[in-house]
Amino acid sequence: MNDVVNSSGSTSTIHAAGVAIKDLRKSYGSNEVLKGISLDVAPGEVVCLIGPSGSGKSTLLRCVNLLEQPNQGSIHVGGFEATDPDVDIDKMRRKVGMVFQQFNLFPHLDAKRNCSIAQTKVLKRSQAEADKVSMHNLERVGLGHLADRFPDQLSGGQQQRVAIARALSMDPELMLFDEPTSALDPETVGDVLSVMRHLAQEGMTMLVVTHEMGFAREVADRVVFMDGGVVVEEGPAEEVIGSPSQPRTKEFLRRVLDPTHIDIEQ
Amino acid sequence: MAMTARQRARVSLYVQAGIFVVAVAALILATDWQAIGNSVFNFAKIGPMFPGIFATGLVNTLIYTFLGFIVGLSGGLLLALMKLSSFPLYRWIATGYIEFFRGIPALLVFIAFGYGVPLAFGVSWNITVIVMISLGIVASAYIAETLRAGLQAVPKGQLEAARSLGMPQWRAMVTIVIPQAFKIVLPPLTNEVILLTKDSSLIYVLGLTASQYELTKFGRDGISSLGAGLTPLLVAGAFYLVITIPLSLLARKFESRTARTKR
Repeated sequence: MNDVVNSSGSTSTIHAAGVAIKDLRKSYGSNEVLKGISLDVAPGEVVCLIGPSGSGKSTLLRCVNLLEQPNQGSIHVGGFEATDPDVDIDKMRRKVGMVFQQFNLFPHLDAKRNCSIAQTKVLKRSQAEADKVSMHNLERVGLGHLADRFPDQLSGGQQQRVAIARALSMDPELMLFDEPTSALDPETVGDVLSVMRHLAQEGMTMLVVTHEMGFAREVADRVVFMDGGVVVEEGPAEEVIGSPSQPRTKEFLRRVLDPTHIDIEQ
Repeated sequence: MAMTARQRARVSLYVQAGIFVVAVAALILATDWQAIGNSVFNFAKIGPMFPGIFATGLVNTLIYTFLGFIVGLSGGLLLALMKLSSFPLYRWIATGYIEFFRGIPALLVFIAFGYGVPLAFGVSWNITVIVMISLGIVASAYIAETLRAGLQAVPKGQLEAARSLGMPQWRAMVTIVIPQAFKIVLPPLTNEVILLTKDSSLIYVLGLTASQYELTKFGRDGISSLGAGLTPLLVAGAFYLVITIPLSLLARKFESRTARTKR
């Protein structure tokens, strides 16, 4: 736990934690998905994970809050060693917000209760106190006026913003985003990205799996390109996306940035 | 003259309706109405059944069914969670229990429980307790399978989201997964109550005293005391419909509500 201790930002209310991943390996049966990943994220840093599907980037993200159990290597999050068998997994997860591709809002609860439920049940806040925090965070994502709507009464973009507010209501020190805009209608993607941009500006540590290259380029401090379970290339966003050095990165970006381009070389 | 496919289909429907009408008419003609009137539809003599069939029969059937359902629901939930457990022993126990009690007639369970347990353990329980537990044992096997399907129908992402917010496994199940599972299984669960209502007719084997009679036993008692043949059973049967038809309508309402909210 050397370089990943909490830094309490003096200007913001966010207490950002860092992440240190060392030689992480994960297999499903004989299929090795992560082949020794090492990655550090400094407190307050925004890192985007990019790469083709099946490259292991979502698995890596899910290992950080132990939704997947890594086989080898170590993960430190804030003051926790996630890979320690004796770690209090629930206590650690309170500090780590997770946003899913499919939102995973609780359909039997309205937006406000979605944000309040874990506050009352896990943090033991009173209902009034929790609702106050929930409203604050719903307003933060621009949805204070829809607090009493149920998930099926909200658009995909609105649901995802509620999901972000739900995670923020636990006062996390790190936010994980697993392709947060991949399931959205194109016209609602912008609202979600702008919420994430604000969060980054406020100093939240963010680890984001995304295909939104524009967002990565603009918001990320660092971009990590993964392929085949390894980190192929990492560096400042402008560098990795603007002028990649590895052929695999170049090939991937060419396909992503210009999907209608027809390859007539063969 | 050649018919179109649509005309042929319509003629075929008329023929089917005709056969049905002829069959019903034949049954009516063949029936010995004199005998039936005396021993099945003899409503003139059933006066003494009232108001006891309400105050005793209907009330006891409702009480027994309700108690059995409470035990069945609790046991069923426990079995469903055991069946989905990652611990193999729990899964084996649950599977064995469910297969056994779904596979043998409820009547045998009632006999075994009503006579076997007091013999085996030297205890003599209140009849209500015996009825509650024996109905619950049978109901829990059926309800477990229904609930298991409901729990599995809740998307995996729900549990992941709850755990990601720092909820322990049990808390995530209680607060997030189980409420959604119950909503999903409300229609089939209502059907389980209907089946249980009818199964409660089998507990006459436990040797009830007059004040403990449920509908069927009440009706059987009427056969021997009223001299109206099977008419008292017919009346008892009608009272089951008073319970089961509203439940059926309720299940249908739940079903259409689930269909509406499904995206």
